[in-house]
Amino acid sequence: MRVILAEDSTLLREGLVRLLAEEGHQVLAAVGNAELLLKAVTEDPPDVVVADVRMPPTHTDEGLRAALEIRRRLPSVGVLVLSQYVEKRYATELLTGESEGVGYLLKDRVVQVDEFLDALERVAGGRAAFDPEVVRQLLGGTTHTDPLARLTARERAVLAEMAQGHTNAAIARRLHISQSAVEKHTNAIFDKLGLTGGEGYSRRVLAVLRYLGS
Amino acid sequence: MRDMVRRVVRCAVGLIWGAAAAVVELLCTVLAGLVLLPVVAWPRGRRAVLRPVLAGARRLTELERARLRIWLRFHVPPVYGDTQAAGYVAGRWPLGLLGAVVMLSVAIGLGYGTSWMYLWLLVDDIRETEAIAYTSLGGLFLLFLAVQGILGVAELEGKLARRLLGPHHPEALERRIAELSASRAAVVDAVNDERRRIERDLHDGVQQRLVALGMLLGRALRSEDPDRVDRLLRQAHEESRNALEDLREVAWRIYPTTLDEAGLRAALETVAERASVPVRVEYGLTGEPLRAVATVVYFVVCEAVTNAVKHAAPSRIVVEVGSREGALYVSVEDDGRGGANASGSGLFGLARRVAALDGRLEVSSPPGGPTLVTAELPCA
Repeated sequence: MRVILAEDSTLLREGLVRLLAEEGHQVLAAVGNAELLLKAVTEDPPDVVVADVRMPPTHTDEGLRAALEIRRRLPSVGVLVLSQYVEKRYATELLTGESEGVGYLLKDRVVQVDEFLDALERVAGGRAAFDPEVVRQLLGGTTHTDPLARLTARERAVLAEMAQGHTNAAIARRLHISQSAVEKHTNAIFDKLGLTGGEGYSRRVLAVLRYLGS
Repeated sequence: MRDMVRRVVRCAVGLIWGAAAAVVELLCTVLAGLVLLPVVAWPRGRRAVLRPVLAGARRLTELERARLRIWLRFHVPPVYGDTQAAGYVAGRWPLGLLGAVVMLSVAIGLGYGTSWMYLWLLVDDIRETEAIAYTSLGGLFLLFLAVQGILGVAELEGKLARRLLGPHHPEALERRIAELSASRAAVVDAVNDERRRIERDLHDGVQQRLVALGMLLGRALRSEDPDRVDRLLRQAHEESRNALEDLREVAWRIYPTTLDEAGLRAALETVAERASVPVRVEYGLTGEPLRAVATVVYFVVCEAVTNAVKHAAPSRIVVEVGSREGALYVSVEDDGRGGANASGSGLFGLARRVAALDGRLEVSSPPGGPTLVTAELPCA
């Protein structure tokens, strides 16, 4: 994969560059602020961008703004946002509009190298990757409690996995159930939430997420 | 008895002068009123006229203060404002005239009270002895009352001067309350700023290091190559030491425990040891100051030293702590490039902290240096 990194902490930036290089990915640029990120992406669009939410000068949400800007200008570029905290607002903002190839991970999740690389692959491939913690909070804090309350515990687990952007095969593996069981659960979930099956799984996931995050 | 007589005579002279001054004051008040009348609605003109009027009022008030001090033994502190002086001049003349009336009564009482004497000497044939006796008694009684009056008016003079020229109690209280409200709000702000800084310290320092450490370990776990694993583990080991170091730094910045355990002097010496520039501490206090004061002094020194090292590139820093006239002073001087911004967040936060203890913080930092940060705190 061709990757561009934006992270103001030199330490983490270097660490990520090394990690990605070791995994055989190509890091086109590694920058420390949103302005340089936009410039680098415009000059040579990568497959995926990894951006920290808080970056100079104001350390509020420059990274997120840049990510949204990239989504708008170059929809083919995947965007994975790293955040210190779960900010529902940010997650929801990323989910509005054409939201394929987006991801929102807690920064600490980078420590789980496998999960991080997996999320990066998914986002680069035009799918979604949401931090389990983000999903948990979106599920927990949703106002649509009624349809959710009708889900069984198992269906909730499947929904949470799905919302993170995992495929049915991956969900089956992660929950130690058969793939056909997962399919059965997903159909039940869509029925209960009143979502008609669209085409492609990520859109369905995002529809679910959007529904939860609205 | 002799003292009493002396006092009465002294006050009497004071009242005579006061009466003369009252005439001048009355004339001046009327004149000032007439001059101010045409310009009352015209601010610029009013200011131009007021200036000489107020200067005149001050001069008259100074004369009055001298009179009160010399003849009536009243000491009025010279802390009044120009407007107060004008008010005093405009308000005192009736009392001066009352003093004149009292002195006139003294003269009349003296005249009648002593009438029997000169009648005795000058007139051969006295017929109205009874009338003369009554007149003399009446005169003596009036004299007695008038002497009492002298002391009474003198007392009133003093009271009026204190009232009109002294510090205004309600005003002073209000000013103090406003000061306290402002400094209290400033302290709350300063505390919030510090919390924000601590949060940033934790996130931008400690957390990044821990994430980096986790990444190194994660990479080591994924790697098939034993050499690389070995190298990554070494790096991770190094990184964990750095993370601990950072954590210690942050904790130290939040609150220096040395201050509690070993006192201000030890804490300041630790600051000096930790600085990357030579710092000399001249500690001139005999006892340990109050905890609140010590903490503020510590933070002043810490922040000033950190600022100097970070921005001014000095070759040496001198920290001085001592007491002078019941106040504790602290100064931090560096020979760096100067140009420190006193309204910058760090120094501004310090100024607020110092103000909360009724102290003053001053920063002098011309371009090219040297930078001198001084703080003075009461209650050493």
